[in-house]
Amino acid sequence: MTAVSPDSRRIWTAARGPLLIGVVVLFAAVVITLLRGTGEGGSLDPRSYRPEGSRAVAALLERNGVRVELTDNASSVKGATLFVTQPDLIDPRRLADLSGRAAATVLLAPATGVGRVEPGTRQPGCPLAAKAGAATTGGVVYEGEQRCYDSTLVRTGTVTTIGYGGIFTNRDLDSEGNAALALSLLGQHERLVWYVPSAADRSQQKSFGDLVPAGWKFGALQLGVAAVLTALWRARRLGRVVPERLPVLVRAAETVEGRARLYRRSHAAGHAAEVLRQAARDRLAPLLGLPAGEDPSEEIARRTSRPVTSVRALLHDNGPVDDRGLVALADELDALENEVRKG
Amino acid sequence: MALTGRAGLLALIGVLVVGLLLPSWQGVLVVFAVLVACVAVDLVLAAGVRRLTFSRAGAVSVRTGELCVVELTVHNPGRRLRGVLRDAWAPSAGVVADRVAVDVPAGGSRTLSFELRPVRRGDRTADRVTMRSLGPLGVAARQGSHVVPWTVRALPPFHSRRHLPPLLERLRELDGRRASLIRGAGTEFDSLRTYVIGDDVRSIDWRASARSSDVVVRTWRPERDRQVTIVLDTARTSAGRVEGALGGLPRLDTSMDAALLLSALASHSRDQVDFLAFSHKVRASVPRAALPALVQAMAPLEAELVEFDARAAVAEVLRRAGRRSLVVLLTSLEPSIEHGLLPLLPAVASRHHLLIASVADPAVHAMAAGRGDLEAVYSAAAAERTLAERRRLTALLARHGVDVVDALPDDLPRALADRYLSLKAAGKL
Repeated sequence: MTAVSPDSRRIWTAARGPLLIGVVVLFAAVVITLLRGTGEGGSLDPRSYRPEGSRAVAALLERNGVRVELTDNASSVKGATLFVTQPDLIDPRRLADLSGRAAATVLLAPATGVGRVEPGTRQPGCPLAAKAGAATTGGVVYEGEQRCYDSTLVRTGTVTTIGYGGIFTNRDLDSEGNAALALSLLGQHERLVWYVPSAADRSQQKSFGDLVPAGWKFGALQLGVAAVLTALWRARRLGRVVPERLPVLVRAAETVEGRARLYRRSHAAGHAAEVLRQAARDRLAPLLGLPAGEDPSEEIARRTSRPVTSVRALLHDNGPVDDRGLVALADELDALENEVRKG
Repeated sequence: MALTGRAGLLALIGVLVVGLLLPSWQGVLVVFAVLVACVAVDLVLAAGVRRLTFSRAGAVSVRTGELCVVELTVHNPGRRLRGVLRDAWAPSAGVVADRVAVDVPAGGSRTLSFELRPVRRGDRTADRVTMRSLGPLGVAARQGSHVVPWTVRALPPFHSRRHLPPLLERLRELDGRRASLIRGAGTEFDSLRTYVIGDDVRSIDWRASARSSDVVVRTWRPERDRQVTIVLDTARTSAGRVEGALGGLPRLDTSMDAALLLSALASHSRDQVDFLAFSHKVRASVPRAALPALVQAMAPLEAELVEFDARAAVAEVLRRAGRRSLVVLLTSLEPSIEHGLLPLLPAVASRHHLLIASVADPAVHAMAAGRGDLEAVYSAAAAERTLAERRRLTALLARHGVDVVDALPDDLPRALADRYLSLKAAGKL
């Protein structure tokens, strides 16, 4: 067989390790979530078992035949008790509309209060809550037709306002007459709409997503699918990339360039000048018919109009040369050589 | 498996379906399900790739830079195979087009031709053959690779063969097969023949003429059946890249070109060529080399990062070359020769004629001519020093009776061949 692509057995062998790790992670996540119990909801959430949650009062209400409906938009409240945990998050007009339609409304600590008191055990002091007796109340003081617990619980028409939500929490439900008070407030009718407003209720503005037609949204989603499929098409190679061993390529002149840099860094102008002079002498001697190694100065002086001493100085002077002098020397040597070639 | 562009296109059409008809999660899912169904149908109905069998035929060697054809036969035992096939080679193998559309009927076979133009000398091997077999809808394909081994040996290009005709012309002049006025062309007595007008009167053999009714001249021919041993240095210095007319090539490649021209010339003049590639040990060896065997031996040679072992090389040459021969060493004139080769020269020079051919670097010559600013002048000084060193080495070698040919890469093959011919004409072989 010449085939080298992985068959199903090899794919399984390669993939089972990562697959096992994935399953273990998933299993661990499920176990941890189950052990932690429901972390759902914050304070005054009828599903929450936490101390500040309200699972206990919801259970009590259901045992007494009240249907508890948790909602975040409260569309149908007709004939029901409406319990609003954060009335300030709702548009006042909508709240008025809702409480008009509901049989009874309980608002928890709206921002319409006239003063503040510390939460604590208070006596009712009014017929409305006489049966419940002392309860944990306080928080905000309101004005209204019927006032109880030092005006921290007032009723105007069907709307009851309470300044502190302690009586509904799992933690405080069993102390004093809290449970009785909570049941009398929320259990007035067969249905209780437990309204936990979301942030969107306050703004009342529709988001971009709400305004775009569904066709566009899902069309965009489908476009994403098309993009992914196109990417998969382009990403799949037709066979692997072929590696190749390449020979090492070194430019042969690299050592010469290295030496030039060394000269320059150490400012070896004198040495470089001597090398250039030697090279000029080596080139000039055969031009003039002299054996290699012989001094061509006199012969040059005879052929050109230059005095011997200046030619000799140019070709032999070992005096100190600086960087600028070196460039000039190279040019002078070239000029001399050209003169001899022409002459 | 692999998807095709059609899968993306289908999903794009799905945008219209979702956007206009079914703007919901269900719509997206329906379109996706249709896509998955198409892909599944294609994958199930596409011809299997695993059971395909392949075989190759065609060129096994080609001159570097020239075109050759390697054939690949696909045999399909399953149902009809449609799709794309890629025959992957290393980049320097220079495959002109490595992907072709394939359509093989059930149980049939097809032969595909791939054109190769290797850009680098050496053995170029095939990598994998990958087949992408399309399904009937053309949305998805099965894909798999096979190993179908094949090697094409890219031979040295032998660019300098264009110099061969004029060199052979000169060789014939030496040979006396053409009328020539060159005196002393050849040193071996060949035969006697009748005088014709134009022959040199000094070549008349008076004693033979006295015995015959005609005037008879002696003819001479150049030496033949001499031994030429070519030693190619594949060590450190042969790796250096030198710019020539054909771009930057390692010195090794230029040396090979020169060696090929020399051996072609030598075999035409009926000399016997022994070839030896040497670094720190024997890399390749072709005794009584004919040109085809020589290029085959040279093709896979690469420069190595080791020092040339002159002592071992000299020992090897002395062991092989029984009688007096011309030993041509293709190397680089570096100062290391002074310590390596120079002390051994008397042993070689006493029995053989040694000719060293070296590739000069045009970059160094260009640097030596640099003027103007400080950097150029320092570079010129460094280059002059290198050139002076080479001149010194050439003189030193000449003093030991060694011929040196030091030429730029474009000129070296011709220069070496010319030197060989002049040695032959002078009867120094």
